[in-house]
Amino acid sequence: MTTLPVGDFLALASGLVAISIFGILTRRNFILLLIALEIGMNAAILSFVYFAAFPQCVTAATCHPLTGQAIAVVVIGLAATEVAVGLAIVLALHRIRGTTNVAEANSLHL
Amino acid sequence: MRDLHQCLSEGVPVLGDSHVSLTELAFFALAVIAVATGLLALLVRELVHTILWIGIFFVDLSAIYFLLEAPFLGVLQLGVYAGAVTILLLFGIMVTRKRIFSRDAATGVGALPIALAVVTFVFLIGALGQLPGAAVPAASYSVASLSTLLFNAEAPYLLLLGLVMLSALAGAIYLVREGRE
Repeated sequence: MTTLPVGDFLALASGLVAISIFGILTRRNFILLLIALEIGMNAAILSFVYFAAFPQCVTAATCHPLTGQAIAVVVIGLAATEVAVGLAIVLALHRIRGTTNVAEANSLHL
Repeated sequence: MRDLHQCLSEGVPVLGDSHVSLTELAFFALAVIAVATGLLALLVRELVHTILWIGIFFVDLSAIYFLLEAPFLGVLQLGVYAGAVTILLLFGIMVTRKRIFSRDAATGVGALPIALAVVTFVFLIGALGQLPGAAVPAASYSVASLSTLLFNAEAPYLLLLGLVMLSALAGAIYLVREGRE
């Protein structure tokens, strides 16, 4: 039986969150910002999928073993929605300001 | 020369007596690729190269889901992320740039973002790494039981997701509509 230790997965997920925060703080291009957000979302999805296979959850009477995977499906859908809305904002910003630099998007009044 | 069967059941010997299973070895390789491609996606200067690296990142994570015996999520990751999201981002770049292969202006990487990222990483590892146990991926949970859970009337996951997507669609159309100043 193969087991995957919790530390390894949490190290990967934490690393991805750290990369995501680094990207959000340093990049100025709106599309790169969206990509950094996606990396962070993927860390969350990875954690949900990992803990769905956790024996403490599988044996608990109140917990369905596939709840983690079901939530992961919802989060993947939400991430795709977020990219669609984000790209709509990028297109509106590009049409009105002629740039995709978030530093120049300094007004809510388009 | 070790028998492949023996390797699969007992793992690969490393450093004397300790064994690392092939699943763990595969996970380590995939994890290194994930971190490397994630960093490269944010650090390369050409936006089109960013899209290539993030595509590899999504495919790599889908391989990790297959490793965790979650084949439906692996396929969903390939279809939605590696397929749709990557192409959508590429489309966004093509629409908003005059020349597709043009470099971004260099942005200085200050010490503060790196410090914040490192602090977050250390905090998360310190807080969560204490959890005992290890996951045991089991193939016994089929796609059929997952769909039973997803389309359950008591926990309408997909219904809520559909409502969110519908309102997001309306919001996106409102944002890019014609006839505004």
